[in-house]
Amino acid sequence: MSASVLSPSATPELHTSRETPRVYGIAAEFSSTADIYHAAEQVRDAGFKRWDVHSPFPIHGMDDAMGLGRSRVSLIALCAALTGTTIGFVLETYPSIIEYPLVVHGKPVNLFTIPAFFPVIFELTILCCAFGSVFGMLALNRLPRWNHPLFNWDRFARVTDDLFVLAIEADDPKFQETRTAELLQKVGGKNITLIYE
Amino acid sequence: MSAVATPHAPTVSARNPRLESFQTSNLGPVFFGLMVAAALSAVAFIAGIFIWPLKQVLFSLLFGFSFCFTVSAGFLFWNIVHYATDAEWSVVVRRIIEAGAQSLRYVWVFFIPLLIFAPEVYAWMDIGPGKDVLLDGKRAMMNRPFWTIRFFIIFPLLALIAWKLRKNSQVQDIDGDPRPTISSRKWAFAGLPIFAIGLTFGAIDWLKSLDHTWSSTMWGVYIFAGSAWSGMAALLLITITLKSHGYLQGVVNEEHYHIMGKLILAFTVFWAYIGFGQYFLIWYANIPEETSYFIRRNAEGWNILSTALVVGHFFIPFVLLLWQQLKRNPNYMRFICIYVLCIHALDHYIIVLPGLHWAGVSFNLLDLASVVLIGSTLAFFFLKNLAKGNLYPLRDPRLANSLALKN
Repeated sequence: MSASVLSPSATPELHTSRETPRVYGIAAEFSSTADIYHAAEQVRDAGFKRWDVHSPFPIHGMDDAMGLGRSRVSLIALCAALTGTTIGFVLETYPSIIEYPLVVHGKPVNLFTIPAFFPVIFELTILCCAFGSVFGMLALNRLPRWNHPLFNWDRFARVTDDLFVLAIEADDPKFQETRTAELLQKVGGKNITLIYE
Repeated sequence: MSAVATPHAPTVSARNPRLESFQTSNLGPVFFGLMVAAALSAVAFIAGIFIWPLKQVLFSLLFGFSFCFTVSAGFLFWNIVHYATDAEWSVVVRRIIEAGAQSLRYVWVFFIPLLIFAPEVYAWMDIGPGKDVLLDGKRAMMNRPFWTIRFFIIFPLLALIAWKLRKNSQVQDIDGDPRPTISSRKWAFAGLPIFAIGLTFGAIDWLKSLDHTWSSTMWGVYIFAGSAWSGMAALLLITITLKSHGYLQGVVNEEHYHIMGKLILAFTVFWAYIGFGQYFLIWYANIPEETSYFIRRNAEGWNILSTALVVGHFFIPFVLLLWQQLKRNPNYMRFICIYVLCIHALDHYIIVLPGLHWAGVSFNLLDLASVVLIGSTLAFFFLKNLAKGNLYPLRDPRLANSLALKN
């Protein structure tokens, strides 16, 4: 049960002013998609919830390997779309049927004029749905943000080039510094490093 | 969720495919039932000639024909698209698509009475030159000889494409030579414009020309949208039924249902887009040559059916197909497919029958008998065709991708 698994270059220089920097989590390096895919499956099976995989490109099937389940973006998109439908419907029917009815080339001034309103209802539905999807996705990813603790680790920059990184956060209920580091070593991680905030 | 999946489904891989063919030996009662249904409805038709006016008989026949023809054309469309887009997912269900597309070889027979008595249904054939300015402008297209010739051009071409695509597919089963796939791809590219133009001319000749005064530039696409929609629903329904009877175990799974459900959803939206695009511009511009179709279908009881079509063809299936978990449930999708085919029949009922019953909806026994007659005949030949060769392409180069499909 020694901490020798951990690499020594863990303490970031950014936080030298602090007495004890808070631990963000433990990260491990992998060299191929297959390695990190199988590592992710084992971390998932070990029951971790707050962790992530970083790779230079999307890896097919990684959401299953991580056990992510369904995204809630679709629910946000549906709610936003229904909001758009309602706004479009009220925005058009209220003035042109109730508040200030205008007879335009002999068409009835009641709900049977609804085909005329469809384009705006449709466009607002699509617009709100698109906004809901994009901003909902950003919110669920907690974006935008200025910085991320993983950037304190200089080797993390290589994740945009040829490195695959799996990071388990300290907030995870199952997180224990030495045992988590050993797990990462067991699943094939290299250069296992403690990351500080 | 998947109630039909057997617990001991054998694993099938592209390297080790399991020989499987559709067995008709124990389907005697089914074939007998189909023949009895077809015979009974044929008797109803013969009796109908003496009971109802000839017009009613022919219009009912046209309704059944247009319903069955569009579903068959939908099968051909998915067969062509499979090759034209090099699709992977549809390999395992392609034999069903191919057998369905063969219906185009038989369905034309039911149009022969309409060819013989055409002026009863297509009133413009009896109007002489100089009597109708609008019709005189369309004489180049709308004259009976050319109209008949077009029928005998469209059907052989569509049936030829369907036959060739299936032939190639079956030849490949023998030795796994990739050349039939290349050949089918070429046929598919040639077939796309032929299919598009053929279906458009068919839609105009047999359905739109019921009212020769009407013009719409969207008509061909409108018929196509319903055709692809119902064709996919029929394909999924047949696939689910086959699987629940023990076929295609370990070959077709909920991933394939999911994709087919997504395509039904996509074409629900496409139909609504085309249907509304057609209605909206005509309604807005309010030009007499264009409004005649919708005026007739929004009056005298047809109004109720038209409104039901808008709700039932778009809003209900759109909501029902939105949730992805449900699209993977075969029992749920079976219900959806039957619903889709019923609504497709309603669509064609509203297209065809107002040409006769312009004074209001008037259901006739022959409307039902016509769908049963043509439908059961086509089902009979479909089962016969499905039994020829293997139930899925054993040596298709993309079988492995289709088996390992993930959404």
